[in-house]
Amino acid sequence: MSSLVIDCHGQVGSGETWAEKTRWVDYKVELLLERAAEAGIDRTCISVPQNATYAEKNRRIADLCQKHPDKLIGFAVHSPQRETGRLRAMLFEEVQSMGLKGVKSDGHPSREMLDAVADLKIPVMYTPESRDLIQSTSERAERRDYTLEVIRAGPPAESYHMMAMLYPTVNFILPHLGSYRSVTWWAQINAIDLVKRYPNVYVETSGVLSHKYLEMAALELPADKLLFGTYAPELDPRVEIYAVKLLKLPAQKEAQVLGGNVQRLFGL
Amino acid sequence: MAQNPEGSRRHFLSTSAKILLSGAIGGFSAESGVAAGSALSSPRGKYPIIDCHAHVGIERLAGTDYDLIAPWDAIADPAVIARHAEEVGIDRTIIFPIFCLKYAEANQDIAKVVQRYPGRFIGFAKHQPVYEKGEIRTLLFREVHELGLRGLKLHEQPTPEVLDTVKELGIPILYHPRRVALYEEFVPSYPTINFILAHMGSDQSVDWREHLAAIDLAKRYPNVHLDTSTACITEFFERAIYELPPQQIIFGSDEPEIDCRLQLQKIRVLKLPAESEELILGGNMLRLLGGRL
Repeated sequence: MSSLVIDCHGQVGSGETWAEKTRWVDYKVELLLERAAEAGIDRTCISVPQNATYAEKNRRIADLCQKHPDKLIGFAVHSPQRETGRLRAMLFEEVQSMGLKGVKSDGHPSREMLDAVADLKIPVMYTPESRDLIQSTSERAERRDYTLEVIRAGPPAESYHMMAMLYPTVNFILPHLGSYRSVTWWAQINAIDLVKRYPNVYVETSGVLSHKYLEMAALELPADKLLFGTYAPELDPRVEIYAVKLLKLPAQKEAQVLGGNVQRLFGL
Repeated sequence: MAQNPEGSRRHFLSTSAKILLSGAIGGFSAESGVAAGSALSSPRGKYPIIDCHAHVGIERLAGTDYDLIAPWDAIADPAVIARHAEEVGIDRTIIFPIFCLKYAEANQDIAKVVQRYPGRFIGFAKHQPVYEKGEIRTLLFREVHELGLRGLKLHEQPTPEVLDTVKELGIPILYHPRRVALYEEFVPSYPTINFILAHMGSDQSVDWREHLAAIDLAKRYPNVHLDTSTACITEFFERAIYELPPQQIIFGSDEPEIDCRLQLQKIRVLKLPAESEELILGGNMLRLLGGRL
């Protein structure tokens, strides 16, 4: 297998950011490609930020992937809750006709989504921290008000158990090692345990601000369970790739993390 | 497999337990896994590279809701900071205590750690302006003149007692406020104090509006500097870098929770003009320290 460097988590297009309630963004493909090239990334998986509906946005992603077939790999985004009843038809069209390779779930994946995904044999990316949880946790962090109650609010990894058990043929990608920017550090330890338990759950490496949890993941997990991602251009891919290099993995394992695993999972 | 034993969960927990059981700062190990000058280091510049933001200490929170809850309140090992800093060529790291209710003892510990690692750390005191009201002037004079601490770290709004003492001592303040706007209450009255606003106004970039408020604050007051630690959303981090004069940006990491190797890389990848990068990475902090390490 050739050793392509593949970023499995980039973003292009307009919408709300996934982490904040009130920030609108328009991520430009030119900036994404320029920084990817600087970082030594060969291909980037792209999807759109959060939107009310996704059919039109996903078509734009597919168009961009057709325009840059050697650089971009497209993911659809769908809301299992807001687009209920239409998911199967939309996903089949987006994957079989438009060439998208996976789906990012805006909200907890439903049976409708996972049945379609299982039939299409595509991976699902899902960040289980709701925006409300991030917001409240962040506000508490600002006030230094970490109480037992917040910790007991529940690690986001818990919401993966049912999906991972009931859909063993579906590959799930948990972004940010379970907590964007390491805001909920315990969720990153829980993410490592989750990945140990289920052969079909993988973690993506971007936005792990407390690098020691990424080191913990690299020590405790087999290299084929870590997928390199950058969350570019929201985060800097030139820094995110350095985070993986700092793990100082043996060359073969580093190549797996940086791209080999994604090639295998996505059938590239 | 990665060779860094620090990242192992078992090692992480057992190290913490050992240090807590020892009940003394002397329990810190001085392990160092990577030699200075490795492939990840960068060429030397005109100024030393100074990381302005790191915590060191052991927990003193028994009986509070914070006891053994969060890693940043439980343990901060200087050996970890030293190892990371040496690996990427950071010359000095400014250290101050982790969260306490009162800081006299914790500040003494900082002075001891500075002595234990010659040429590695610069110590700052930390104080709680409300809980230590009336004691701060005496404590801070002693900490600066006798213990050799060089500045003050704050997490709570400074009182006139704190600010007047700092002004008299001529030391910088690194302050992480709940909201950037709180700086407006005291900065205009203390134009001779050098302030460093932690995290460019928003720890972990959790509130992007605070980054914008921080940039605006620094534009209004030349004695306000922004510490780069933990700011991670590219758009706002780069706005601060490109909108402000380099003289007002200071490199920091928030070790040991946040890895200084990545925080340094965040600035290096911008490929700034050499003079600007050198000011940000150390020249400005050196100036705030009166030109001596």
